[in-house]
Amino acid sequence: MYSHAWQTSSILSYVGEKMIPGETLHYLVMAVTALISVVATYMAITEKDLLKAVIFSALQSGMYAILYFLLLAPDILLVYIPVAVGLIPGVLIVLISKTERWEKE
Amino acid sequence: MRIVEIAVIILIVLAFGLLITVAFSYIAPGTRIRPLGEFYLYATYNPYDPIVRLFTVMSPEGVTAIVWDFRGLDTLFETSVFYLAIIGALALTRGLMPAPRSEEGQGLSVIVKSVTKITAPMILAVGASVGLHGHLTPGGGFQGGSVIAVIPMLMIVIFSVLFLAKRMNVTGFLILRSIGLAIIGFTGVALFIAGLVLGVPAWVFQNMPKPGAPLSMPVEVHGALISGTLWFFNLAEMVAVASGFSIAFLILLLVKEVEFRGKS
Amino acid sequence: MEPTEFLNLYLLSVTIASLLANVAISLYGVFYKPHYTKKIIAVSILSDSANTIAIFIGFRRWLSPSQPPSVAIATNLSREGIEKFANVGVDPLPQALVLTAIVIGLAVTLFLIYLGYMLYCHYKTLDMREIRRLKG
Repeated sequence: MYSHAWQTSSILSYVGEKMIPGETLHYLVMAVTALISVVATYMAITEKDLLKAVIFSALQSGMYAILYFLLLAPDILLVYIPVAVGLIPGVLIVLISKTERWEKE
Repeated sequence: MRIVEIAVIILIVLAFGLLITVAFSYIAPGTRIRPLGEFYLYATYNPYDPIVRLFTVMSPEGVTAIVWDFRGLDTLFETSVFYLAIIGALALTRGLMPAPRSEEGQGLSVIVKSVTKITAPMILAVGASVGLHGHLTPGGGFQGGSVIAVIPMLMIVIFSVLFLAKRMNVTGFLILRSIGLAIIGFTGVALFIAGLVLGVPAWVFQNMPKPGAPLSMPVEVHGALISGTLWFFNLAEMVAVASGFSIAFLILLLVKEVEFRGKS
Repeated sequence: MEPTEFLNLYLLSVTIASLLANVAISLYGVFYKPHYTKKIIAVSILSDSANTIAIFIGFRRWLSPSQPPSVAIATNLSREGIEKFANVGVDPLPQALVLTAIVIGLAVTLFLIYLGYMLYCHYKTLDMREIRRLKG
């Protein structure tokens, strides 16, 4: 039931006329997702507007959710998506609206 | 300037990867996993092997079996840590008075309100399905509870805080959470009490028959697998987690500016 | 090593290196950024990256180009199916421990947010250098 996704990826790489093996395609998507999460973390830490920092941290959590799917951990994924993309940014935005929004120098 | 910094960081990561490749054979994932992990995979549904059938859980889902049966005490104490965090947050905000707000004509437009009235029961159905099928498919108590906890947050944003606080107070959510925790506690000692009544040895948190303790929770009901205590634990944990999150939001949004009683 | 095996190992090490880079950047954020909410964001990124490293160690590679790893759920419940499942599934133990760790990290973050609101009510600012100077 879960293995047919990898047969699809081998079919896709065959159609792409390059014959990338399925295993390399799997690891390639994992590496690209991890690199995007590094960029999102850097932008979140060095941002002065705290609202944008929360949005960047939600983007990083989305990339981690894709990484959990690629590492074959669906239970963790189902906890992580409502918590780190929905609830924690929600509560952080409430805190920002009640306190300060801009981080001074 | 930001682009130069981002490019430098990506280049550092790529070069570090090249360095790790040389010394990677010691921490890389291989084609075999740890023997304990393989034992858990082999023993999670195994009524065939004559030795392993004494330790099996009769649930095809490996992670839920480890969380609620093989390492059940870890989950019990983690539930109590979450409970302590909610109690701490409640105790911190005891001195603040909720602000009296007058009218109820707030919230977003009519379109958003009608759509929310349609989709909120759907979210409830999805969360219940994820939570109650935890012993067969990926899911379980925490997952279902987190999905259901999105509903009060949506209602607070789209309607207003008073809309939720007038219908379902903080005390109501506390009662729901206590019911969930009570069901967890009772299911944990259910077989122990049954063993005391019948005069047969039984463990606390026991699920399936163990050597020397022949009592067992029901494995299936009319041909459908429920895996003993796993289904009851998932149901109670779903209710407890959802109401715990709702308490946290509701209190954070109800308190208004500082009104400390007495000294500051 | 043949080039395909080298490429596989390189992509896996790029993943683990970027997770370690995330840990490093968020540690820098916890220590050197003075605002309280920024520290909360950095702590949550740090705990998530540590959990992801734990799940990455429990991964299992492909046995052969036609035998990918499978999730830790047994679909074929016969006797031979269970034996094959134990040879192909990923490690379920780090996933169970990380589940507990995520919920505990979430509870601690919620409590930190409440503490931040109390700090603001008391000192009228959330800049930690200001609070240290006031020392009320």
